[in-house]
Amino acid sequence: MNMYEIRFHGRGGQGAVMAAQTIAEAAILEGKQAQAFPFFGAERRGAPVMAFARIDDKRICDRTQVSEPDMLVVMDESLLEIEPVAAGLKKGGCAVVNSALAPSEIDLGVVARCVSVDATSIALEMLKAPIVNTSILGAMARADDFVKLESIQQAIMNRFGEKLGEKAGRLNSSAAKAAFDRSREGTCKGERKIQRKNAWLPTWQETPPGVALPRTTKAGMAVGPGSMSQNLTGSWGVSNPIYDDSKCIKCQRCWFICPEGCIRRSDDGALRFDIRYCKGCGLCAKVCPKDAIAMKRKGASA
Amino acid sequence: MDRKMNIRNMPSQDHLLCGQGACAGCGVAIAVRNIMRILGENTTVYVPASCLLIFGGGMYPHSAFDVPFLYSAFENTGAVISGIKAGYRRQGKDVTVIGIAGDGGTFDIGLQALAGAAERNEDVIYVCVDNEAYMNTGTQRSGSTPFGAWTTTTPVGKKIKGKRGFKKDLMSVVTSQDIAYAATLSIAHMNDFVQKVEKAKNLKGFRFLHVMTPCASGWKSDPSATFDLANMAVETGMWSLYEVVDGEVSITYRPKEMRPVTEYLKLQGRFKHMSKEDVDTLQSWICKKWNKRYCPTAPPLEGKEDDLAYGGDGCEGV
Repeated sequence: MNMYEIRFHGRGGQGAVMAAQTIAEAAILEGKQAQAFPFFGAERRGAPVMAFARIDDKRICDRTQVSEPDMLVVMDESLLEIEPVAAGLKKGGCAVVNSALAPSEIDLGVVARCVSVDATSIALEMLKAPIVNTSILGAMARADDFVKLESIQQAIMNRFGEKLGEKAGRLNSSAAKAAFDRSREGTCKGERKIQRKNAWLPTWQETPPGVALPRTTKAGMAVGPGSMSQNLTGSWGVSNPIYDDSKCIKCQRCWFICPEGCIRRSDDGALRFDIRYCKGCGLCAKVCPKDAIAMKRKGASA
Repeated sequence: MDRKMNIRNMPSQDHLLCGQGACAGCGVAIAVRNIMRILGENTTVYVPASCLLIFGGGMYPHSAFDVPFLYSAFENTGAVISGIKAGYRRQGKDVTVIGIAGDGGTFDIGLQALAGAAERNEDVIYVCVDNEAYMNTGTQRSGSTPFGAWTTTTPVGKKIKGKRGFKKDLMSVVTSQDIAYAATLSIAHMNDFVQKVEKAKNLKGFRFLHVMTPCASGWKSDPSATFDLANMAVETGMWSLYEVVDGEVSITYRPKEMRPVTEYLKLQGRFKHMSKEDVDTLQSWICKKWNKRYCPTAPPLEGKEDDLAYGGDGCEGV
């Protein structure tokens, strides 16, 4: 076979790097050559991240990031809105998307063969945590036959079993099997426009003295002090707080503890939740003495 | 006399804005957010290499602080904030200068610059946000990592399981010099937290605030456990709340009784390998510290109960 390249788009904490390593190990178990590595950047849990894997029969000398993948793995559906995930997907390539929707309802930005799987539900069901990497691996075996499900399950046992104990290895391996059985095949839509991300970095001529930057706008985006507030971090989490102000005694403990500052207060102590930035950590619900705040999984019906 | 500052009457204006990129449930973000609310807009922030630099200030050209923000090398927080203050003094401006470093940048790498600034009694605030390892680079041990904890450089092997040394007592190092104010803070003791920050703001001279900031990623705990961890650290004696004003040490919160350290350890994945002997070693170390800190012969907190983190105020202990 020719070199097979895979690009993973996930969020920090979902296990994109581990998934890339596991798929490489599965290929090695089948006697192939493989490599896996993450995108090097300043990633935090919940932030968009990338990982890459390459599989070949011959020795692989290329060490660059994968820009034209044969397979695209999207571990979090909300990334489709904010990242140019489908950029560079090869003709005839396929995509694996973590979504409760059928492939025909998913708008990837290119028309391609697509496998969708509700990996978050499978992970919450079987592993009791929204760590979707092993479920995604099962769906990858369904999407293309470059590695067999059995090798993936064996690689999961090796990797996770060694790190987390044999029981965790078996659980993760059965999550992969469940995902293989429950994933749906089809073709996705290509209506979305893939836009390269906006970025501004000064050239040396533009660099201000002492690289000091005032609050201003460059290339259509805010830069300088306070400009990070244009990052709507609300897509990072899997749950949101539901606030019941009839139970609230205005003790302000949640306002103090919220790491994101998404709880705003007025002078009389009334609280307003700005969930555009909420990462779903659940601390506000934890410190509430009156249970006026409950955490609810996003998209779940009341 | 004015009522002491508490979480209900403290300033509401944020200076670490929404949209910062910390992990969910980040203890550092909670601490820095509230410190900045109290210090207000007439503040200049310096952060060396740390998580806070990446998620809060230094992703040039972006910053989550809406006040002036600077950064330079890892090891010279004490020196740079001294210089910023000197610059403002020369310009005749009265600006609060704060340096916020992690435990790596304070306990290990930044110690000499910190000691220098403390010795000169520079008019700055130095905050150490202590998450007990180099979390920014993926959990390497620091001088602050407690006994038995897993990190990538103190791995759990067949013979040696986790870190063998104990946590450095940084407060003793800092307060061995005559500085204006030093205090330990916990994000779980909120009124105590804001009172100490306000006190530091209003004093002159070198002020040192040491905040314990649980780290969900590095401690392998649930993001929603950040508050419980900070609270349980104080209740078990892994962390104690006190302040040092002109060399006088006073306890600001005394737990009613000592909880076994296992109640703190079991909330975290970094301690789950610990053997019975290791837990006993850690427990006896804590007992020694506890007896020294909350010495039974020390003067009682007469009439100061209102100052206690959980005492006096209606919104606490509901």
